[in-house]
Amino acid sequence: METPMYQSNHRKIALGLSLIPGFGQLYNRQYVKGISFFILAASFLIVFKDLLNMGWWGIFTLGEVVGRDHSIFLLVEGILAVIISVFGLGFYAFNLRDAYKNGQKRDLGLKISSLREQYRALVDNGFPYLMISPGFILLVFVVIFPIIFVVLLAFTNYDLYHSPPAKLVDWVGFQNFIDLVKLDLWRKTFINVLAWTIVWTFGATTLQIALGIFLAIIVNQKDLKGKAIIRTIFILPWAVPAFVTILVFSGMFNESFGVINKTILAAFGIKPLEWMTDPFWTKVALILIQTWLGFPFVFAMTTGVLQAIPNELYEAATVDGASSWQKFTKITLPLVLYATAPILITQYTFNFNNFNIIYLFNGGGPAVSGQNAGATDILISWIYRLTMTSAQYSKAAAITLLLSLVVVSVALWQFRRTKSFKEEDMM
Amino acid sequence: MDDRVIIRFNHVTKQYDNDLPVLDDVSFEMERGKFYTLLGPSGCGKTTILRLIAGFIEPTKGDIYFHGKRMNNVPANKRQVNTVFQDYALFPHLNVFENVAFGLRIKKIGKEDIERKVKEALRFVNLEGYEQRAIHEMSGGQRQRVAIARAIVNEPDVLLLDEPLSALDLKLRTEMQYELRELQRRLGITFIFVTHDQEEALAMSDEIFVLNKGKIEQRGTPKDIYDEPVNRFVADFIGESNIITGTMIDDFVVEFANQQFACIDRGFAKNERVDIVIRPEDLELTTVERGKLRVRVDSVLFRGVHYELCCYDTYGNEWLVHSTKKADIGEEIGLHFEPEAIHVMKRSGGE
Repeated sequence: METPMYQSNHRKIALGLSLIPGFGQLYNRQYVKGISFFILAASFLIVFKDLLNMGWWGIFTLGEVVGRDHSIFLLVEGILAVIISVFGLGFYAFNLRDAYKNGQKRDLGLKISSLREQYRALVDNGFPYLMISPGFILLVFVVIFPIIFVVLLAFTNYDLYHSPPAKLVDWVGFQNFIDLVKLDLWRKTFINVLAWTIVWTFGATTLQIALGIFLAIIVNQKDLKGKAIIRTIFILPWAVPAFVTILVFSGMFNESFGVINKTILAAFGIKPLEWMTDPFWTKVALILIQTWLGFPFVFAMTTGVLQAIPNELYEAATVDGASSWQKFTKITLPLVLYATAPILITQYTFNFNNFNIIYLFNGGGPAVSGQNAGATDILISWIYRLTMTSAQYSKAAAITLLLSLVVVSVALWQFRRTKSFKEEDMM
Repeated sequence: MDDRVIIRFNHVTKQYDNDLPVLDDVSFEMERGKFYTLLGPSGCGKTTILRLIAGFIEPTKGDIYFHGKRMNNVPANKRQVNTVFQDYALFPHLNVFENVAFGLRIKKIGKEDIERKVKEALRFVNLEGYEQRAIHEMSGGQRQRVAIARAIVNEPDVLLLDEPLSALDLKLRTEMQYELRELQRRLGITFIFVTHDQEEALAMSDEIFVLNKGKIEQRGTPKDIYDEPVNRFVADFIGESNIITGTMIDDFVVEFANQQFACIDRGFAKNERVDIVIRPEDLELTTVERGKLRVRVDSVLFRGVHYELCCYDTYGNEWLVHSTKKADIGEEIGLHFEPEAIHVMKRSGGE
């Protein structure tokens, strides 16, 4: 079919007529389809005319008259208009293509499928698409819409001083990002929060992974009695909802009444520590609690992997004269990491965004002078603070973008490594 | 002491807790440079012998000698023995080269030496050029060869193979049988091969040990074992056979199926009850008049090279016949056989 011999020019005429949706189909003598296309297109225009008009104007200007225009509502309408336009254009493109294809069929002297056949084809080939489309459309409004909203917000000056209806919001380009680097207060806070976020992510996660693997290997020793009981006990922290554990720990770490200062440290003759007011000790406490919360999962997973390592591997290593330590470093550890690496990485991304523990333990505090985040605020809790207490919406959106950049790239990289993208077995 | 003997078991017993012994007072010798097969049903103790030689377990009683030196309690890595495991036991996180080099690295051998030895071992198993492959990219047969390369790179005196071919498909298995045999000849070291597949054992071995319930039932060349099984168990386990009970009337005369036949066996007591073995391929289809036995055909299977006929005589004895001739089900036929085809064995306990 490289150079089809066309006997007529129906395809071009149909395509041209289709510029008004439905007319091309009518020309191809698909009357029902043509009429329904036309009605669909007409109702689309009638229903969405105002929204599209208002939306497209709004998203560019974000309002012109204080009091009459509400910038944020306009932004929302604008995004809706964009999304609906995309759907509309998609339909329009389909209409053009359909007219052209059927015209082509006529040019080649082929029969055009009847309505019944088209329905059959739609149900047979389009079934998966038909089934996912409600979910997909829902997804566009529930997931994609807010994402676009945040992305756009990051390029406005929406904050306490530019809040509708009293003020209008304006597009400011990259100003928010520039401010994060240039303005002293923001730069200092940004750097401190980022630094602690990194330390927190790597410290807490690495510790919980190390403890989990270490305990799993210890408990997996052949001659250990009562493995079931020990494993059950080690899983328990996982069984308690995290927020309950954090709140309980928050009480235990209380400086004046908490059991840790009052009883445990006192028993060792150590003076009470400032768990809630000294940034350093708060950070230590947070990492310890997260280790407690996170190790059971790694423990359970590693136990599974360990039990799947065939004993023959160790025998083979014994024949080669490997010591116990060599067997651990050359067989056990690589195999455990090899099998669990993808999941361990999610542990890092989880802690990177672990809002619960930061917020529930000490609300991101203690406060630090000269910055607008607490000493233990990580990026995500800082964003929360900016949005909920200081009304710095656009800055929060900008930071969210930066943070997403990290999380999305890690997630993408990790997905690429999983089996959804390649078909290979690992063990 | 004969210095060709490389391994000697002296009344070795292996028992776990107070269960029945897995290995019951076993004594044998193995010579260097030969291909031995330990053959038996699962649970017969063949793998136990292998693990005793390898040093993964220690005997409960008795002694194991290597080159005439007592080896009990010598750790596995100090014995000149290497093992090819059933499921290969390759390290999934290392590539082919590193798998083979594993033992050498543990022994802290120089880099160039490792390179040279690994290359050589891989050449031996025809895997040159596969050094950088990941294990999961290799086929079953290739993994098998990597496992062998990993074992021979350490230059052992004895190579233990624990049912190494059982995970391969039939065609590959046959191919690997040739390769293993060939490899053993080239290396000139002792191979001890464990299997429950009698065909494999017959095809590859210099000598076969047939084991049952922790005891060696018979040892000998494949031909000996096939032609002269010492008892019902061995006859039944090695190849397909017709085993029926009979009576030794006199030297060279045996009675079964209510008839007396000439045979070539002697040395039994008069009228001693014995087991008779006749291999299916030694039975010949003929007419009723000319046959020594008169049987009725019960079923016929086409096996490719021959038909497998299952027949019954009037006394209810089952006769399996391998023949290139076909017979119809229900037909009366005669079976002819030579006196040499009859093999008389002492009755072993039971039954």
